[in-house]
Amino acid sequence: MSATMHLLRTDWFGLLVAFAVGAVALGLAQPSFLSTYNLYVMLTAFSLSILIALSQMVIVAIGQLNLSVGAIGGLAAITFAGVMEVWSVPIPVAILIGLLVGVAGGTLNGVVTHVTGLNAFVVTLATLAIFKGTNIGITEAQPFYEIPDAVKSFGNARFGFFPYLLFVSGAIGIAVWVFMRRSVLGRQLLAVGGNLNAAKLSGIPVGRVVVAAHVLSGMLAAVAGMLAVARLQLGQPTIGDDWLIISFAAPVIGGAVLAGGHVSVAGTVLGVAIIMLINNALVLLNVDPYAVQLVLGALILAAVALSRFREPA
Amino acid sequence: MSTKAIPGRAGPKGPTFAVLASNEVGLLLITVGAVIVFSYLAPGFDSPFNIYALTRVLAIDVVIGFSMMVVLVTGGLNLAVGAIGVSAVMVGGWAMQVAGLPIIVSALLALAFGAALGALNGILTVAMRVHSFVVTLATMSLFFGAMIVLTQAEAFNALPAEFVSLAKLKTWFFASSMLYASIVVGLLLWWLFHHTLIGRQILAAGANPSAARLSGVPVERTIVVCHGLSGALAAFAGLMLTARNGAALPSMAGQLGMDWLLPAFLAPVLGGTLLTGGTLSVAGTFLGAAMVTVLSNGLLQLQVGEFWVQAFLGVILLVAVVLDRLRAHVMAKRRVR
Repeated sequence: MSATMHLLRTDWFGLLVAFAVGAVALGLAQPSFLSTYNLYVMLTAFSLSILIALSQMVIVAIGQLNLSVGAIGGLAAITFAGVMEVWSVPIPVAILIGLLVGVAGGTLNGVVTHVTGLNAFVVTLATLAIFKGTNIGITEAQPFYEIPDAVKSFGNARFGFFPYLLFVSGAIGIAVWVFMRRSVLGRQLLAVGGNLNAAKLSGIPVGRVVVAAHVLSGMLAAVAGMLAVARLQLGQPTIGDDWLIISFAAPVIGGAVLAGGHVSVAGTVLGVAIIMLINNALVLLNVDPYAVQLVLGALILAAVALSRFREPA
Repeated sequence: MSTKAIPGRAGPKGPTFAVLASNEVGLLLITVGAVIVFSYLAPGFDSPFNIYALTRVLAIDVVIGFSMMVVLVTGGLNLAVGAIGVSAVMVGGWAMQVAGLPIIVSALLALAFGAALGALNGILTVAMRVHSFVVTLATMSLFFGAMIVLTQAEAFNALPAEFVSLAKLKTWFFASSMLYASIVVGLLLWWLFHHTLIGRQILAAGANPSAARLSGVPVERTIVVCHGLSGALAAFAGLMLTARNGAALPSMAGQLGMDWLLPAFLAPVLGGTLLTGGTLSVAGTFLGAAMVTVLSNGLLQLQVGEFWVQAFLGVILLVAVVLDRLRAHVMAKRRVR
């Protein structure tokens, strides 16, 4: 197979072209797109959304889905902010506690889905209500305002248009890419998602793999939640409420198969980039910003239709 | 016949009938028990006003549960119930307030619009040959986004007084008249699924699509019909909520209409409708909604942390599905013996 054919067959190449064309077109149509501040704002949103999308992607890899991504992120966010405000916990310890919330949430999802064999959809709908309900129960829907200055300044810090937040999510993105491609566990995730019975017969510890995927998903959501606290400068209980659509849209646009077994980290990241570009275009071109919901819905449908076209059942 | 047993259709003497019955009787006992306990503990619980408020909430949640139940029976689901419900009532609100159409015409228009959006979900699911999860995830965003763009997030809050007063009627025992509307809807659904050809075709297609297809059941058509019905029921729930609120509000089902998802799944799942499709229980869905409404209202009346109700409902759903799984497991073992 020629190198060009190979490139065309990857999940990410078409998306990269689409993104480049879109970015150039937007830059020509609206020069303010390339202003330092606009790029910074876009990259900040990009940093958070990468983690949200990857959090869903690792669950899609095992052929399940996780409705509670936003609820775990929100609970980790308010826990992170809350322990710093109420108990004056030092920042590194607070980060650790926030991560633990993600681990605990993911463990609950993974253990219940695996042990009962129930559809992850209904399990994570229930845990979504539990996590979000706990969030509302603790905060009584009021934000935690007293965030340490170090966290606040980290959330605002940037090199030109490059937000510090992107260092965190960029490093995590690369780590997830290496994990999915090179680690045994990463390959096992795909094997379980691709064919559960074959995976079982080949001696893969399916239960451990399913729980590990959910724990990883929970941790990624928790990091996204804590970065959201740094960016918003407060522990807002509504963090995570609007993550669901983007968490599915980006992996699906990036070529993930919802039945499991096939995901692309590069595709997912480019999926996020394209969504951010569309969002930014709608704002810069003075289109109703709410139209982004409409566009996201249409994009998911188009991506699914396209994947059916690429590999007919 | 296929080896896959269809509970409730094995004949009145079959073991599955007993399970279904016990499920519904169990729900009824818990609900009645909760009513007695709350009436004793919380003085406000059995006040006429609270009964009226409770039955208004129940009437709406029952229909939201039905809206999900009719797609669960196909083995699919509908994440867009809330988005469809809100979109439909915005059409109805526009028809009443801006176009000045009669209430009944506007309501029918809203129901037809809900049915059309639902049918679109069904058509996309069938045409793309994917699970309705991803289709309705996409259309939830699509419908809600289009609704917000078209309405500019403005409410219709000058609805005709006669429409709003529909929700204020009280009947005997202080119950809201809306509850009777929900009961009528439930009876119609029961008749549809147990006494009509299309109803039986839906059950057969949901239980085993390939077997149903071989027996000449138009499986694709049943899926479109169920999604259309789900949309119409979501619109009906939306109309009742609009009458209760006195305005057609874009925010009435939360972000993307997702606030409806928990009640939508709780009622049918507690009531014994399986997520795998092929079975449903109209009475169970009604009782499931009743149990949830009584428990959450009672907890609010007891004032034991109004902010914790959502977490509590999540625990109920989790416990319910796990218990249901356990029951299926035990039943399977007994059947082998």
